[in-house]
Amino acid sequence: MSLSLRRIGLVAARDYKTSIASRGFLIGLLIMPVLLVMLVVLIPRILNSHSPQVAGEVAVIDTTGKVTAELERALLPTEIVKRRTLETTQSPAPSGGAPRPANAAAPPVPELTVVALPAEVDVQSRKSWLVQSRDAAPRHLAIVSIQPNAVERRPGAEVFGSYDLYASSHIDDGTESTLRDAVRAALIATRLRSAGLDPLAIAKAQQVFEPETVVVGADGDHVGSRGVARFLPFACGILIFIGVMTGGQILLTSTIEEKSSRVIEVLLAAVSPIELMYGKLLGQLGLGLTMTAVYIVMSLYALAQYSLAGLLDPILILYVLAFYAVTYLVFGSLMLTVGSAVNQMADAQSLMGPIMIVLIAGYSLTGVIGQAPNSSFSVAMSFIPPINTFAMIARVASSAPPPAWEVWSTLLISCVTAILVVWFAAKVFKIALLMHGKPPSIGTLIRWARMA
Amino acid sequence: MTAVLELQDVRKSFGDKIAIESLDLAIPQGATYGLIGPSGAGKTTAIRMIMSILFPDRGRISVLGQASALDAKDRIGYLPEERGSYRKMTVGAFLTYMGCLKGRTRAQAFGRADRLLGRLGLPDVATKKCEDLSKGMLQRVQFVAAIVNEPDLLILDEPFSGLDPLSVRLLKEVIAEEHQRGATIIFSTHVMAHAEELCQQIVMIHQGRKVLDEPISGLRRQYDTRRVQLEPLDPDANLLALQTVPGVESLKLNNEGCELRLVAGTDPGAAIRAIATVVAPARIELVRIRLEDVFIRLVSQSGATENSTEALRTHLQGLSQTGVAT
Repeated sequence: MSLSLRRIGLVAARDYKTSIASRGFLIGLLIMPVLLVMLVVLIPRILNSHSPQVAGEVAVIDTTGKVTAELERALLPTEIVKRRTLETTQSPAPSGGAPRPANAAAPPVPELTVVALPAEVDVQSRKSWLVQSRDAAPRHLAIVSIQPNAVERRPGAEVFGSYDLYASSHIDDGTESTLRDAVRAALIATRLRSAGLDPLAIAKAQQVFEPETVVVGADGDHVGSRGVARFLPFACGILIFIGVMTGGQILLTSTIEEKSSRVIEVLLAAVSPIELMYGKLLGQLGLGLTMTAVYIVMSLYALAQYSLAGLLDPILILYVLAFYAVTYLVFGSLMLTVGSAVNQMADAQSLMGPIMIVLIAGYSLTGVIGQAPNSSFSVAMSFIPPINTFAMIARVASSAPPPAWEVWSTLLISCVTAILVVWFAAKVFKIALLMHGKPPSIGTLIRWARMA
Repeated sequence: MTAVLELQDVRKSFGDKIAIESLDLAIPQGATYGLIGPSGAGKTTAIRMIMSILFPDRGRISVLGQASALDAKDRIGYLPEERGSYRKMTVGAFLTYMGCLKGRTRAQAFGRADRLLGRLGLPDVATKKCEDLSKGMLQRVQFVAAIVNEPDLLILDEPFSGLDPLSVRLLKEVIAEEHQRGATIIFSTHVMAHAEELCQQIVMIHQGRKVLDEPISGLRRQYDTRRVQLEPLDPDANLLALQTVPGVESLKLNNEGCELRLVAGTDPGAAIRAIATVVAPARIELVRIRLEDVFIRLVSQSGATENSTEALRTHLQGLSQTGVAT
């Protein structure tokens, strides 16, 4: 018996054309970039655009008598913006002294008014001040009680006192966080002044802006590439994962459909079961490669907008495609086997469970391994199939890629694994295709493979 | 004559269940063979092994001179019992695809599919999606898929199941045309009347064994039923008087009149003349042999059945009625 490449090609071409023209595939193709854009850009904006500006009063019981003025200053909108800007940027503010504009995605700056209470007031008796209806005006948001030793330590004490915070049940996390930052800034400034130091001078002395790393490569210098490098292992993992999932799912559903619609025996009149299986595998491999290629082109375009396209090593792109292909052959064959063994989608769930767990485990490792590409764990994972492809691509895409022999060893192990899995799948496939009735267990699939 | 299909000592089991015990078969080129037997007899399993969809546990199969149908699929047309189509594909695309898989160019496949669709009363469906066709139309499309490659060997598993009488007639005509073109035809059915009408040779399978492999003409000679059907001219005629006619063994009344069984060795012509002298007939004829009877007689003689003869007859008749009605 000889396999007909012509028939395999025809089956592959039909499956490829049918899948690529389907609405489901086009939606799937666009869903990742859309989700990414939503995650990075739109969601924070959408969330914050719906946050109203908070305005209300904060009562202060200042037993030191020194902090209230600093706190009033620290709660000024301009000061809040300044602190937020310092937290979120590593580069110095533009020259001219003007504060950096607030991040558009940041929540609106609350308008907090300080109500100074006498120092001798018992905070317990004033707690009821915070209990009011949701729409009362002005809103009583919190009581800050500065401890007596918050500015000057008690004799013999190593640490300063702090403050107590009592909050209304209506205060949101963002406003509370802003208030805590302001109290902290006010306490530090007051302590420094009390010690005869200039808080502004010290703050400036503490500022060491972190420069962007300039990565020097054969093709020149690249600024801002560290962020890309950190993201790259994860991105490569997700590319392989999405490609495998897309192709595998189509294999699963199309095979179940062919079985349930009884077209399978009509096909087997023209092709052998193995030709059918190889054709289907190849068709979806082509689909996955198309999808991966589209994502790579989109990524290159996006990187080119920031003059970072040169960061993507062409050999990395080849590795992504090669590792995708072998990973797909392993998981796609297994999904195809499941599709051939059951008669409806619901029956496939129990058999798909273990396959999905292994696939997701492999993909989940990419982030961890990308951070420590040469740890013992990372190296060991690179040689344990079938998840070694995810581990290795994360290492190859990391800032400290492994030597070439390790990459090729992983590729070789993966190829051998793929051959074994495809061989097993083919044995089950040709038996399972004409089987109807209750869905088989994993044990039954193994028995079928032995029978074939 | 060259055999296009040969099976030698073929056996197939599924776990503990033996589907085919031992099957030997040789079908010459240009023949029309009927593979008959009740459901579960092993017909579909035999056909699937011929098509290399299943593989025998033992024995040898040769198809169109090849050791496996896999090497001759381009020359075989196969209409399986369980047949479907790609629901979202257009009929034209589906048939062209099937033709290409069987070694035809797109133009050849589409051209022949278009002609055959017209021949089967479906001239305008090529651009329609398969899911938009009725069940009967789809059955005809699937038949076209089986013969789109102008096969040398055409295997049809229950081809008329689910078809209306008009479609059955059209299909029979096209099957006859394929036979005239030179195709060898193997036709599996449990509707014995179809086999009697279309086939030159009958192969009966029962419980995984071949129990008959004879030409229809030989069967008629070999399995003389010795039964005479009489419809009296006078509805009130005394039919029981016929029991005394020489050569009459027994008599059974029925709606039309009665059926008489003759003593073995009786000359049917003399018996018919004698019967006509006792009761004037509106119609009198020798009952034509039915494959159902041959089958039951063979099975009863071999003692291979656990079923009683009557139970088997009821089963076959039930199947037969189902086959015609569906």
